[in-house]
Amino acid sequence: MSALKQVHFPKTPEEAARLLARGDGVRCLAGGASLVAMMNLDLVDPDELVSLAEVAELKGIASLPDGGLRIGAMTRHRELETEARLAGPFAVLREAAGKVANPPVRNMGTIGGVVALADPAADYPSALVAADAVIELASERGRRRVPAREFFVGLYATALAPAEIVSAILLPPAAAGVGLYDKLARVAGDHAIVSVALAVTRRPRGDLGVGLAIGGCGLTPVHRAEADVLLAAGALGDAAARRAGELLAAAADPLNDVRASADYRRLAIPRMVTRAVARAREELGRLG
Amino acid sequence: MSVESLIGRSLPRLEVREKLTGRAQYTADLYRPGMLHGALVGSPHAHARIVSYDVRAARAAPGVRCVLTGDDFGDHRMGAFIKDEHAIAKGKVRYVGEPVVAIAAETEEQARAAALLVEVRYEELPAILTPEDALAPGAALVHEDLASYFKVFEAVCGGNVCSRTELAEGDLAQGWRESDLVVESEYRTPAQAHVSLEPCGALAEVDPAGRVTLWSANQSVFRIQASVCESLGLPMSRLRCLTPRVGAGFGNKMEAHIQPIVVQLALATGRPVKLILSREEDFEIVRTRHPFQIRVKTGVRNDGTFVAREVEVVADGGAYADDSPGVLGYSLLMARGPYRIPHTRCRGTLVYTNKLRAGAFRGFGNPQVSFATETQIDEIAARLGIDPVEIRRKNALGTDDRWFCGQRLGSIGLAECIAVAERESGWADRAKLASAPGKRRGLGFACTAHISGLLGTGAIVRLLEDGSVVLNTGAVDIGQGSDTVLTQICADALKIPLDRVSIASPDTDGSPYNWGTTASRVTYTTGRAVFAAAREVERQIKTHAAELLECAESDLELRPGGVVGIKGVPGKELPFVAISARAHWRKGGPIIGTNSWVFDQPTFDPKRAVAIGLPFPQIGVYSFGALCVEVEVDEITGKVDARRAWTVADVGRAINRASVEGQLEGAFAQGLGFALVEEVVWDGPRLANPTLMDYKVPTTLEVPYELHAHIVESPDPDGPFGAKGVGEIGINVVAAAVANAVAAATGVRLRQLPMTPERVLRGVLASQPGG
Repeated sequence: MSALKQVHFPKTPEEAARLLARGDGVRCLAGGASLVAMMNLDLVDPDELVSLAEVAELKGIASLPDGGLRIGAMTRHRELETEARLAGPFAVLREAAGKVANPPVRNMGTIGGVVALADPAADYPSALVAADAVIELASERGRRRVPAREFFVGLYATALAPAEIVSAILLPPAAAGVGLYDKLARVAGDHAIVSVALAVTRRPRGDLGVGLAIGGCGLTPVHRAEADVLLAAGALGDAAARRAGELLAAAADPLNDVRASADYRRLAIPRMVTRAVARAREELGRLG
Repeated sequence: MSVESLIGRSLPRLEVREKLTGRAQYTADLYRPGMLHGALVGSPHAHARIVSYDVRAARAAPGVRCVLTGDDFGDHRMGAFIKDEHAIAKGKVRYVGEPVVAIAAETEEQARAAALLVEVRYEELPAILTPEDALAPGAALVHEDLASYFKVFEAVCGGNVCSRTELAEGDLAQGWRESDLVVESEYRTPAQAHVSLEPCGALAEVDPAGRVTLWSANQSVFRIQASVCESLGLPMSRLRCLTPRVGAGFGNKMEAHIQPIVVQLALATGRPVKLILSREEDFEIVRTRHPFQIRVKTGVRNDGTFVAREVEVVADGGAYADDSPGVLGYSLLMARGPYRIPHTRCRGTLVYTNKLRAGAFRGFGNPQVSFATETQIDEIAARLGIDPVEIRRKNALGTDDRWFCGQRLGSIGLAECIAVAERESGWADRAKLASAPGKRRGLGFACTAHISGLLGTGAIVRLLEDGSVVLNTGAVDIGQGSDTVLTQICADALKIPLDRVSIASPDTDGSPYNWGTTASRVTYTTGRAVFAAAREVERQIKTHAAELLECAESDLELRPGGVVGIKGVPGKELPFVAISARAHWRKGGPIIGTNSWVFDQPTFDPKRAVAIGLPFPQIGVYSFGALCVEVEVDEITGKVDARRAWTVADVGRAINRASVEGQLEGAFAQGLGFALVEEVVWDGPRLANPTLMDYKVPTTLEVPYELHAHIVESPDPDGPFGAKGVGEIGINVVAAAVANAVAAATGVRLRQLPMTPERVLRGVLASQPGG
């Protein structure tokens, strides 16, 4: 039987964080795409909900003075999927948003909710790690910023402290480059068997910055700085791609589950990485 | 008044508005005053003796009105073929999730909360989880009393063998001697879940006289009435079964699910009780498609002529027989396919295991064996260097041929189906298919047939005072459109507009018997009864009209719009209202046309064939089909996408073209799931994926946009307007055609379903040099 007694509607992130501090039975409600489904399955049974629906600051995508983007935590997947400013390397995030579940869920779910939940099967974490995004967190103590690469620490486990919420996703100034997200799933909308998130930036001096992360193959996105360096140094060549893929396959800790075996996932990672890198190389070539 | 025939038109469903506006009432939408809500406690063990129950805490829980255990049910068993199943577990549990205790409470939440308070002590028994476990010497027995169970056919059973069936024609030894090439392979197909949009549910109410009314999601009010009464020891006269709207069945709702338990709760409390299964329960406690292990050996001459075939099937039936003996026997009857193979022997063994029962599922065993036989034909064609379509055409059954075991064929449009699929798909030009980089494309072909006729059915057509008509058949429209089709048949037979016919909802009190909406049979069998009952109404109308118009009955004709008149004399006519008024108030009595019949053509001819353990002595009337699928295989991941498909069926006569096309399209989608994605997985004794999160069916994005349904019409001499069945034929060879297309694209021959990216990629890598 549901224990839910109260739903709060704070107006600021700080007020939301303060309400969350009321106790263990208080949960933060963003889009509800995951939380409400989990409540329906009796997986969580909150006493109180803190809805972020009326926190104006969390809505929308803002261009920052330095050329970066600030994505409010309550931004829906559908908004990201159609956001023209997610270009160049940050297209990885736009493509990932378009592969989340199905259109009704994309109309409802939010990026902040997905990030805070840190479901290892979700699409955003690997995309944010590849894009080297920064997660902004809010609490009564103020704001702090944690790189996505440090934010996801385990199964449904993040750098979020108690009574702290995700307030925004920050992307650095957009540079020329290519971003892509390749998802292998049993059917459209299912969780990934393997996903490959790749963000490539061409720096002003002409050298490449590469972010490569694998989703669906462990408790957190699989990322190795050596693999990024290999790809950059190898100019996105096939040999470098193969080595980077093998590195990530070795680093991955996939499960045997009803979607696929762990062995298959390890087999698929280098193959999918090689294809993604080749596609990035071609697109980069077209940029001139 | 339009004189256009109602037959063959794509008329919209009669109930389309109520469904599209959300007003359709399904079982879950129903409410009765004072209604309680039910909940179930499931077994945590696959196989265990029930030692004792402690239901004190549950009985004392808030809102609880009744807690029933197996001890509260009499020792009565039900079963379509073998009476092996109690209404609720009694003495033993035989699969994880099997209902052991049932609770009724004021609210659903209270009932479900009380279910958590029940304690049952078990003594665990060895769990039989595979056919190999079941057939091992000294294996624990799933049913110790199998020998004493009542069986409706001559079942060959014993140990954990639920039934064995053998069908044979010709002389196998001679067949192998006459063959130039013999190909033999083994195949495996998985359990598939029905995933009807509406989960199973029931609502029962006891009236002051102690008689029960039961509303439930089902495919046959009459099978439900029989099963509930059998399993509770009630006379059938004490139970009335009704059916609100049903959100699909696919076989899952043909036999009983929780109806007996809900009736018992209502009898125990004296109050209405409703229980709707959650999606997870619907996966865990109803039924699945049978996992099959199939060995097929086929002998051919060098010119491609089929000579001999041997098939051995082991089917995992789960904990209870349910429809399994029928599925096994039917699969063997289909294992020769729509071809001439003079020397054929098909044998099957159905075993009990400690898993959820398997049962009826669209195709009824045909998709499993057809995956094996129709892919083996492609292997043979490749070995002989013959075109896969050509080898099928060469061996296809013709008008003078008989079905395996000797049954005559009333109509056969197979050659035309093959020709249409070949032409529409551009089969001849398939070598020119262009593949995108990193992808490989291929076309795959397969043929099939399926029955439409079996068992009993009836129809009542009543002429109302105003000349309109009520049609009552007892056939449940589970969403496939039979209400519309039967109404079209009735209206066309009487030459009245569609809206002058209303169709009664199935009701065991008022409807004529109908075995069920299953086996692709409603249009053919019930349609025949409707047509005959309408003809009887016509006869009675003409008797009145002959007296009133002073002419011979043979001079009369029905005219469009509900009018009877003298042939060739335009002015000499009477509206039905005049006839009906006379019949009701003055002479003859109200006009009622009835018809009932049972399909009585023998399945096998003892002069031509041998049949042992045959569960259905009388089935037949064959529809035919051909399917061509184009797939694209991703070289990197092994993922298979269906890009285009041409599904063709000879349905005799399409009464409602849009509905026939819808059946073919829906069956293709469900077959695509069987081919590529769907598998009920057990993790030890427990289901690993009983949710829609973990069990996936194809979405609109997987079903090809270019899915072309084509209708061939080779009229059956006895079918209504020539119609035959279409409900299942479209699913039978989807997996086979997809597998043949994958082989054409990659050279890899897969013999296990589903064809996951993993299986395809490993096949491709193994076939590469050094792989």
